[in-house]
Amino acid sequence: MTIRVDHLFKSYGANLVLDDVSLDFRAGAITGLLGPNGAGKTTLVSILMGIVARDRGRILIDGLDLDRDRDRIQARASIVPQSFAFYPTLTARENLEYFGALYGFKGRRLKARMDAAIDAGSLQSFLGKRAAELSGGMKRRLNLAIGLLNEPAILYLDEPTVGVDAQSRSYLLERIDRINRERGTTILYASHYMEEIEQISHDIAIIDGGRIILHDRKEDILARRGAVTLTLDRLPGALKEALGRVAGLRVEAETLVLDRHEDLNRTLAGLFDLLARHGAEVRALNWGNGHLEALFLELTKRTLRDE
Amino acid sequence: MNRIYHLLKKEFLVISRDVHAVAVLFVMPMAFILIMSLAMQDLFSTQSPVRIPLLVSDRDGGKPAAALLKALRENASFEVKDIPATLSDGEAAAALNDADAKFVVLIEDHFSAAIRDRKPRKGRKPLVVLVNPVVGTQMQLIVQSVLANALGKVRIEAMTKEMSPLLALARIDPRAFRQPSEANIEMRFVTRGEQRFRAPNAVQQSVPAWLVFSMFFIVIPISNTFISERGQGTLQRLRSIRLSRGILLLGKMLPYFFINLIQVVLMLLVGMYLVPALGGSALTLGNSPAGLALIAAAVSFSSIALALLIAVVARTTEQATTLGGLLNIVFAAAGGVMIPKFVMPTVMQKVAELSPMSWGLEGFLDILLRNGGVRDVLPECLALAAFGAVMLLMTAVILKKQFEGSASP
Repeated sequence: MTIRVDHLFKSYGANLVLDDVSLDFRAGAITGLLGPNGAGKTTLVSILMGIVARDRGRILIDGLDLDRDRDRIQARASIVPQSFAFYPTLTARENLEYFGALYGFKGRRLKARMDAAIDAGSLQSFLGKRAAELSGGMKRRLNLAIGLLNEPAILYLDEPTVGVDAQSRSYLLERIDRINRERGTTILYASHYMEEIEQISHDIAIIDGGRIILHDRKEDILARRGAVTLTLDRLPGALKEALGRVAGLRVEAETLVLDRHEDLNRTLAGLFDLLARHGAEVRALNWGNGHLEALFLELTKRTLRDE
Repeated sequence: MNRIYHLLKKEFLVISRDVHAVAVLFVMPMAFILIMSLAMQDLFSTQSPVRIPLLVSDRDGGKPAAALLKALRENASFEVKDIPATLSDGEAAAALNDADAKFVVLIEDHFSAAIRDRKPRKGRKPLVVLVNPVVGTQMQLIVQSVLANALGKVRIEAMTKEMSPLLALARIDPRAFRQPSEANIEMRFVTRGEQRFRAPNAVQQSVPAWLVFSMFFIVIPISNTFISERGQGTLQRLRSIRLSRGILLLGKMLPYFFINLIQVVLMLLVGMYLVPALGGSALTLGNSPAGLALIAAAVSFSSIALALLIAVVARTTEQATTLGGLLNIVFAAAGGVMIPKFVMPTVMQKVAELSPMSWGLEGFLDILLRNGGVRDVLPECLALAAFGAVMLLMTAVILKKQFEGSASP
């Protein structure tokens, strides 16, 4: 399902949270919505889900207008909030049954949906445990599983891995990727973790101060940021001066970033020759895409941890 | 219906696993009913009333003084203790403080003579009462009245003896004079439709009062679960499931309505069986189950609606608990739950009429105490329903505003 957002505005009092946001989310893709805390990610996701009103703008989902067809759209979408949106004193199974029933399922259909969600979240071993007694990772999996009960065509994930360990994070990302691959679910993945966005997304939208400052396919975005990155053990002054004459090369401290261009092989050969002549050793080499973090820094003039 | 069933089931599971909620909704009112019914038993009882300690010094020693003492000892309201006749006024006053008594009655040495006097005597009175300053005016008046009554009897007895030849001449039976005044008085407790000779007991007063109080205490669990849902994002999820505000509110109201009804049944059972098992009087239910159900439903509706309003207004569970608890205590104190309305001054009785707890309490008293029916509780039910409707309307309006734009960015 495609999602089209046109000139979206939202403010809370005097605080403008979304400022003329326009973008299209591709059907069947995972779009990573990257931005620092307070950038407007949660608000955008909540507006798209139809649970927070916007001030201005239009939202079309698969051609349906969110204002006119909210029920139809919501029936095919689901949101996994950042918080643990379930009842801590109920067991995992009771939570699934409750939310499944509220979706309108009953009897065998409810059981089938619950089984599918249990399978997707690998919840089998702790179904009888009260949610409050689950570990952070298990709670995240339960949170995700509840969001899958209605087998959504669109899934909004708002910081779905906050507060979990590396193992659980990896597990969740793998599950989300599988949901997208197996079901063709359109996923909007809001996070401030660049590595996750870089790992899981097909498309990336960067939001900052309520504005979308970049939105494109991941490959195209990362390709913008150099093809080869070399990190040197040291950078003597004479070498730095010589490097300044190499076309398409930027020097950032001890790191050299060589932009993608037609004569890349010849440039690289000359570059290694130059390094050898100045006695500089290459400590690390990254061949391929640039890093999202560097791009984010370039676009926003700050890191995600600045705020 | 399936959704409603699961909303109910979830709420019951959540409540049953919340020890604090169970304590507030069921244990606290049960304890209140038991304690208050047993503690106030004597206050309402005609069989074993609270006895006022009375120290008596018989400085006279004559037959009339002995007759007065006998009359006082026979009065069930007093616990009479003798103190030596040789004590001075100062020593008698000291005895009053030492013995923690409330009154010392000094039967002066000229008491018998004064009784027989045919003219009013000047100077020191034949009966002097020393009063502990902690005693309230009402109790003073009761003691004064009882003493005056006893004194009257002694005087009549003395006069009847002296006048017996004259009475015989006039063919008047002296027993007519000696008959105690209270023998000519009959106390009837008026209920709707009938007059009963049985006095209302403490449990009949306590159960409705603490039942209404506990029903209004539903504000604590309702607001806590609602605010938790909002904080945890569950509310957000419920809204994304296309649960309307109506269903959402109904989903909160229905389970707690049933919980309120369980409270009613449980508290009535406590009054009927547990209080008498512990030595108190048994609660009787009146003659109108329909009236009882109606007033219970009306109290439940208004208390749940108030709880929902507090839940949407408060930002944190602490705020809701403080606000809800405070409102409940004010409503209870003003509404006659903690202090019966009949002991309040007129102004406070007018203030009490503003409390929804007072409307609920009056409704329950109409059924349980005054033997009323559906028609008798209709005014209270309508007032409670109107109060609940206003609360609910305000809740819906605030909730709508919150739904439309209060999610944090």
